[in-house]
Formats: sequence, C-alpha cells, structure tokens
Amino acid sequence: MKLTRRVALSALSVTALAVTAACGSGSSASGGGDISIGLAVSTLNNPYFVELKQGAEEAAKELGVKLVVVDAQNDATNQVNQVQTFTTQGVKSIIINPVDSKQAAPAAKAAENASIPLVSVDRSVEGGKVASEVTSNNVQGGSLAAVELGRATSGEVVHLQGIPGASAARDRGQGFEQGLNSGSIKVVASQAADFDRAKGLDVMNNLLQSNPGLKGVFADNDEMALGAIKALGARAGKDVQVVGFDGTPDGLKAIEDGTMAATIAQQPKVLGHKAVEEAVKAAKGEPVQRVIDVEVKVVNKQNLAEFKK
Amino acid sequence: MAELLVAEGVTKRFTGALALDDVNFAVRTGEVHVLLGENGAGKSTLVKVLAGVHAPDAGRIVVDGQPVRITSPQHSRDLGIAVIHQELTLVPELSVAENLFIGRLPRRFGLVDKARVRRDAVALLDRVGLRVDPATPVRELGIAGQQMVEIARALDLDARLLVLDEPTAVLTDTETDRLLEIMDGLRREGVGLIFITHHLEEIRRIADRITVLRDGRSVAMLPGGASVQHMIEQMVGRSIDEQYPRQDQQPGDVLLKVDGLTRDGVFADVSFEVRAGEVVGIAGLVGAGRTEVVRAAFGVDRYNSGTVEVAGRRLPGGDVHAAMRAGLGLVPEDRKGQGLVLSSGVGENLGLVTLRSATTAGFVDRKRQDQRAAEMASALRVKTTGLSQPVRELSGGNQQKVVIGKWLLADPKVLVLDEPTRGVDVGAKVEIYELINRMTASGRAVLLVSSDLPEVIGMSDRIVVMAHGRVAGELPAAGATQDQVMALAVQDRITEETPA
Amino acid sequence: MTSTTARGFDARKIFSENGALGGLIVLVVALSVLAPSFLSTQNLLNVGVQAAVVAILAFGSTFVIVSGGIDLSVGSVAALSAMVAAWASAEAGMPGPAALVLGLVTGVVAGLVNGALVSYGKLPAFIATLAMLSIARGLTLVVSGGTPLPTPDVVSFLGSNLGRFLPLPLLIMLVFFGVTALVLARTYSGRAMYVIGGNEEAARLSGIDVRKQKLVIYALSGLFAAVAGLLLAGRLSSAGPQAAVGYELDAIAAVVIGGASLSGGVGRASGTLIGALVLAVLRNGLNQLQVTPFWQQVVIGVVIALAVLLDTLRRRSR
Repeated sequence: MKLTRRVALSALSVTALAVTAACGSGSSASGGGDISIGLAVSTLNNPYFVELKQGAEEAAKELGVKLVVVDAQNDATNQVNQVQTFTTQGVKSIIINPVDSKQAAPAAKAAENASIPLVSVDRSVEGGKVASEVTSNNVQGGSLAAVELGRATSGEVVHLQGIPGASAARDRGQGFEQGLNSGSIKVVASQAADFDRAKGLDVMNNLLQSNPGLKGVFADNDEMALGAIKALGARAGKDVQVVGFDGTPDGLKAIEDGTMAATIAQQPKVLGHKAVEEAVKAAKGEPVQRVIDVEVKVVNKQNLAEFKK
Repeated sequence: MAELLVAEGVTKRFTGALALDDVNFAVRTGEVHVLLGENGAGKSTLVKVLAGVHAPDAGRIVVDGQPVRITSPQHSRDLGIAVIHQELTLVPELSVAENLFIGRLPRRFGLVDKARVRRDAVALLDRVGLRVDPATPVRELGIAGQQMVEIARALDLDARLLVLDEPTAVLTDTETDRLLEIMDGLRREGVGLIFITHHLEEIRRIADRITVLRDGRSVAMLPGGASVQHMIEQMVGRSIDEQYPRQDQQPGDVLLKVDGLTRDGVFADVSFEVRAGEVVGIAGLVGAGRTEVVRAAFGVDRYNSGTVEVAGRRLPGGDVHAAMRAGLGLVPEDRKGQGLVLSSGVGENLGLVTLRSATTAGFVDRKRQDQRAAEMASALRVKTTGLSQPVRELSGGNQQKVVIGKWLLADPKVLVLDEPTRGVDVGAKVEIYELINRMTASGRAVLLVSSDLPEVIGMSDRIVVMAHGRVAGELPAAGATQDQVMALAVQDRITEETPA
Repeated sequence: MTSTTARGFDARKIFSENGALGGLIVLVVALSVLAPSFLSTQNLLNVGVQAAVVAILAFGSTFVIVSGGIDLSVGSVAALSAMVAAWASAEAGMPGPAALVLGLVTGVVAGLVNGALVSYGKLPAFIATLAMLSIARGLTLVVSGGTPLPTPDVVSFLGSNLGRFLPLPLLIMLVFFGVTALVLARTYSGRAMYVIGGNEEAARLSGIDVRKQKLVIYALSGLFAAVAGLLLAGRLSSAGPQAAVGYELDAIAAVVIGGASLSGGVGRASGTLIGALVLAVLRNGLNQLQVTPFWQQVVIGVVIALAVLLDTLRRRSR
C-alpha cells in the first residue's frame, strides 16, 4: 500500500518533471493579439526543427499573434494527443510538423472535428484534410543530391540512411535513387545511421573496411554526413566527396572548410515563417494557398555565401 | 493397514555426491510416518523424489502394489501424493475459497459458480477444522491458517498420501497442537502421512513409525514411542551426553544495559542488563515483542524513548554501525532474509561484518579476509566444499554457523542471538551451544531470544520473559520450569498494566 | 576451489566464468569467414573504438546492476556532461581542461542526485533514473539551445589517435575496464555492491551503510557516463543535443550479455567488456555484410536473446 503510493507519487513527479523539461525548451509564446496559434513540432532534439520554430516565432511576432509551441519528441502518438489538446485550448488554427506523414491522419481528424484549420509544415499529412501544406520537397532534394554527387565525383558511392522507416529517410532515399540515372556513380552500399552523427562515424568506418575504394557519400542529413567526414579524415573533400542534406550551420561550415562537397538546403526558417503566415490567414478566414513549395537548394562552395547567416 | 507406498533401494546422486544411498522406506494407509534426520541427511531429496521433482538413479517405488516411475510433479499428484512445503504456494491476495480451487473453480454457464464455491469451501475447511469465512483473503490468515488451507486443498485433490515438510517449524505451541490433532483425524480417515520435524517431542506424540536417515542412508526404523535419547543417537550416529551443555561463568561488569526502551504500539518500558560471562534468555510468545526489542537495541529500527548502553557507552538510536562499533552484534531471526547473501560464497559471507575493518584507503585486504574466513569455517566445522561455495547450498545448521561466524570474526562484546537454532538439527544445535559457552568463557556475553523453552531454560543464566510488549518478569534459569516461564508469558494484559 | 588468488592463465576458468565469451568467439569466427575485411587490424581497432563509449557506460551500469539497481539515465547524462564541457569552453570561454573537469563534475552531480533519490528519497531506481533521463536530456537542450557545440581541443584529443595507429578511445576503455575490475574486486564499495545486490537487509544488519554506498554507486555511474559522453563528443569534435539517445539500453544489454543478473549480486567487469564487444562486433559485421537496416535490428535482438539464453542454460546445467 505504502509502496504503491510511493510509486504513484514518483510517477507523478516524473511526469511533472518531464513536462517542466519540455516547457523549458519548447513552449513559448510570442507577441500578443487575440489570435492564438498552436504549433506542434515533431522534435526539438534537432537543430533543423529548432530553426523552423525560430522562423515561426519571428513570423508570429511580425504578425502580432500568439504562438504556442509543443514538442512531440518524435513520438507520433504523443503528437496526436498534443493536437487534440490544442483543439480544447481555443487556438484559432494549428500548425503541425508531423512526426510521420503516414501517422498524422488522426491529428488532422481531431482538428477537423473541432473545425480548426490545420496547416502542415515540412512534412505532409497523408490521409487527412489540411488547409495548407508548406513543404520543401524531400524527394526532389534527394534527386538534386544525386545529381550534385554525380557532378562532384564518379565511381563507387555509399548511401547513409536515416532512421529505417522514417518518412524523411524514405523520401530522400527514393529521390536519391531516382536521380542516380543522371550521373556516373554507382551505389555499392546503403546502411542506416539513424540521422545520428556518432552512428554516421561508426557506420562509415565499417563501410570503409569493406569498400576501401569508394569515391562518394550521400547522407540523408548533415549530421550523418559530418560523422562520415570524421571517419574519412583527410580523404574527405579530396578523393571522397560527401553530400549531405538540410544545410545546418555545422554542415555549411564543413562546405566552407572544403570537407563537404554540398548539402541540400531546406530553409527551415522560411518553412516556419510561411506556415505561420498561412495559419494566420486561415484563422482569419482569409483564403489560403493550398500548397506552398519552399525552395530546396543545392548549396556548394560557389553559392555558400547566400546561406551563411 | 495396506502398504500405500514403498521405496526400495532408492539412490540419487548429484554431481558426485550421494544424496540418497539405498534408502528403504514404507508408508501404510492410516499411519503417521516420521522422517527423521539432521539437515543434509537426505530428507528433502527423498521428498522431492516422491513429489516427482527428482528421478531416482536406482531403486524402485511401489504405489498400491504397482511399481511406478514418478516422472513429474503432476504425475505425483495424480498418484494421490501431496506435498506441503515449508514455503507455501498460496496467492496471498486471493480469498481462501479461490485458493482452495485455484485453476479449477466450478463454473456454471461460463461464470464462476459462487454459491457452489462457498459450499464446497466450507465443507473442506471443516475437514481440517479451520473456521474462517471462505471469502477472507489468505494473507489475513496467519501462517498456521495458511498451512491448513494448503492441506485442505491437497485433500480436495484426493490426496491419499500427505507429505508435511517441517510444518511446525513456524508454528506456535497451540498451533502445533491443532495441527497434530488434524493429522490424527486424517490418520483415522485412512490417509497416509509423512511428517518431517526437528521437534522430537512432537514425534513422541504423533508418530506410528520413524525412519531415521543419516548421510543419505536409511539407518533405522524405530517405533513411534522411541525415547528422545534413542532418536538422537540414531540421528547423529553417536550419543550426545547433554542436550544443553551450559557452563556457568562468574558474571562480571554490565556489558549491555537496556533501560526503559519504548516504541509506541510495539513495546514499552523494556529494561534488562546483560553482564560479562552471562547468557540472558528472552522468552515469550510469538508477538510478545522480543525480536522488535533486540532489533531496536541494535539500531535496526527506531524507538521513541529509553536508552541502550554497551559497556557503559550510550548508543545513538537507529544506527547499526554505531552499535557494531560499541561491540554489539545481532544474529537475526530470519537468517536467509536478513543474515546471509545466499548467492555469495561462504568466505564472502563470513567477511561481511569485518569488511569495513579490513579496508584501508578504500581497498579491502581480501587475502586476509579469506584467510580469517577459512580459519573460522574450520573452527566452526562448517560443512562446505570450499569458501567459494554459495551459502544457498549449505544446510540450515551450517548456514547458521556462517551467520554466527561472521559476528565472531568481529569479536563483539555482546552477541544477540535471535532464534539461533530454529530449523537446525540436533548435532548442529549442540555445536551452537558450545559456541555460546566459548563466548561467555572469554568474558563476552550472549542475549538469547528463543521460542524453544527447554533451550532458553537449558542455556541461559537468567530469563527475561516478555508479554504484550513488556517485561512480564525475570527469573534465574537454574531450577526454572517451563510452567513458570509460560505462566509469565501468558500473563494477562490487564494485571500487567496495573501500576505496581 | 577455495583459492581466489589463483594466478596464471587458466583458459577453462575464464570460459566458465564468462559465458558470453564463447558467443563472442563464434561471432568473430563467423564474420571472419563471411566478411573478408573483418579480420584486418584496422577493422579490429575500429570495433574496439566503436565499443568504447557503450563499454564505459556499461562499466558504470555494472556497479548499479550488481548492487541490484538500474540506471536509465546514463545516455542522457553522457550527453549533458559533454554539452556542459562544450558550452563551458565554446560559450563561457573556460580553458579546455577546466571545461573537461566541469563535464565530469556534471556527471557526478547527476549521479549523486540519482543516488539521493534512491537511498534517501526511497524512490525505486527505475523511476528515479527515468526522471533523470528526462531532466538531463532537457538540460542538454537548454544548455545547447538545440544546436551542436564544438568541443575543446582537450576533449577532441580524447577521441583521436595516439601516434598514428593507437586510438585513444580504445586505451581509455581498457583503462576503465581495469578500474572497474579493481573497484569490484578489491574496494570496500565494490564488495558492498555485491552484498547490497545479494541481500540488502543482510548488508544493513552487517553494518554496511547502504544509503551511503548507494550514493557512491550512482555517483560512479554518473562519472563513467560523463567520461563516455566526453569520449563520444571527442570522437566527433562536437557535442550534440541528441547524442547518445537510447545508449542506456545498449549499456544494460552489454551488462546482461556479460552474465550479470538484473536482480543483483552477480556481475563482472570482464563480462561487461565482452558484452559491449559483442554489440560492437555485431554492428560492424552487419554493416560490412550489408544486411538491410530493417533486418539488422532483428538480428541484434536475436543475438542479445541468444547470448543471455546460452548463459542461462550453461548455469542451469552446472
């Protein structure tokens, strides 16, 4: 009896702590105004989404609306709950950055039932109704990466994949394979490194053993690309070319240093900014644009200056 | 009376060691047959062979005149054999009725037939003389009641041979009396009973025949009325001159002084002294607060008021380590749960208390620890294959020697022994008594908590009797009778709480 | 049998005490046959380096598990310690060595909080360290602002090679293996871990200050987590906010593959090292064999189950 109470108390305090931790880094409100908008981010454990959130916060400030941010910590179920919670908190529109495109339909349903317009950002919502979809095209980005890698090098290349089954990994991988036809490169190994820099380093080291003669690397994100560069050591940028994805500050710095050939820059800040603009329009009942394509750009040494902030 | 079960030449070998060596044994219907032997003599192994846990390497078992190979516990039950182990197998949160019919509750239309469960349960409980509401959760029953439920369940499964493995070790005297009555009743109904106990008096009261096991062999078959002396001789293979070889010492300075110790609702105003060279016994019924008092004195549990002094130094409450430093030691009642690390070796366990004193700058001098453990193990004649043998594998008596040994290595001024001989066979008991003598001969003192009245009277110099959490009286052991001690122990709460 | 101070190389004894060693050898032999490049010196060094972080986390977890507890926070504490060190040098301008020490202190403090919650707060270890898992990860994000920070040179040095070939992470792993073995076998706290894990009540009644020892145990786990985190960051020259997510499970798996019991009282440094090597060899081999990522997770799970199953069967047959 005593024990159960203790466990219950502990569980409660853990929840409280987890909530506090999440709040400390996640939830924030910008600006005033009577319009409040919910933003459900997939994860803030990744600089890319942190930038997306920053873009959204800037837009909210400019437009004078209140923005409430929640972080699903990459848990699709958690995200559905968060969107449901939004519907009861009087937000006028909801922006969802789905953890997984294929698992976001229940969240869309919840918003629809509450007659609150939903805007998806960065990833689409499959099987659900959205007022507007603000994305950068991952498939297209993958194709661009293949072309860019084919331009930088020729011969055997390896593909470092993201978390097996995650939608970004699926889309980028699919685009990469589609783009391969255009170059003189051949994929000799595809292995997962879970979007993680340390795993990128380990997996690259392992692949170097079985493929000592490889000439190029495509990684589904910059973090893994930076791990691969670490594994390649002096070979990176010399006889092995690395192409990443995302255009994070560390990635751009690697291009500047000459260790990374290129990255596919999405513009997370622009994504966040546009999403808030559309969400505010939707909240006011103004017409919104059904699909907004935020440009995906190849960043290499030539055009680096445009992206460095 | 027909032969219910006959075991002929049963032999069982465990990795080199012979656990059973050509054992012959037979139980008839309507008979209480006692299996007697020291710990490690092979009683448990024999029971496990009958229960289908172990298959014998040689020999045969005949049930109802048919030779059988008991292949599994289920098979054993199908043959009508039920074993009541010391560790009960009930589900404490479920009701008595549910426990009785666990896994085979009578059903009607797919639902449990509550009325029938109740009716059947009452009838069964009646057979073992247990008068409780079948809806009572088993955990509320107390250990004796739980045993009865186990027995009732076995009877409902049409058990014709009931094996009771040391059922009385955990029972009070009155509870034991009841159990023996029920056993007698079952005997009249024609049930065969195999009864294992270390209490020789119980054997004299109930046994029809006694088979004595020693070192895995069946060495003798005695009639139920055999004398205690005779049983002991057969069991240990030599004659033991004296059951309680207490050597008196001249009492010296006060080593332990407990004064007015009170813990609200548990014990109150408990005072006594133990002098150098003395053995002071603490007697009383189960629940009188004896264990609670010594635990509090040793700093395991807190107390509300009163003082504890060791050799003139007052101990802070609730600090085991301070008590140890002052020279107090405690061999707890529950040796497996509180005294030993069962998975660790004999050497490791013997070194538990001295671990700290053998440490310099954070490092333990293990060589010295092992050396001292080896010396202690041989001095106490601990039967073991080596210092690294897990204590789990030792017999109860040898385990108890290890617990006492770890304290002897720390050389305490006063050693508190809480039920030191419970579940320990006669031979090892005497060895433990001799250890007590050695301690007092060297100017140390012993506080002996025991429910075994002949032991308290036989081994103590003075006896403190507790009742209802208070000291009911103190008397010199010399010349004390069990009746005198009991008279104090069962003293009425009212007379005792009347101010003097 | 009684001699615990037997000297010299006794292969049979080593095998009988480390059940997972057989599994590791089977794995290595199979991979040498299947993947020609597996047995090269460079690859074996790689395996050692890749095992280092998990191995050091697992050494810390060995203390906790032997004493009958569990530490779920080691991955997060590793990330936090590395992030604090990186922040101290990159943002607060502290000299590298001081930042490194601050990182280690962070780990110890997190461990002490775990220990205090468990021993004085009487929280179940599972819950206390689960809370710390969340807190430390959250603090990592707070400190970093969600972006990776570069590590000071002294930390990056830890992840580099000594001379041309000798990887420092491998050396550091071996040093901590030695320290772990020494702590478990020879120190008061080490022996107390086995007693507390074997029977906490007996430990208390034998005069061992269980609460204080638990503080020491969890602090050690925190310290080892900090070292592992600094090593991980050092290899990348960067401390990431999402570094070492889920590593606590690898650490626990390594300890259990190594023959420790989650119910406490049993466990060895050598077993844990073997457990960490099994995981590293497996991941390395699966990459080289180019097994598809979907199946890799299945294979790793099967090998973990098999390794522990074999060990259990071996014990039972004895």
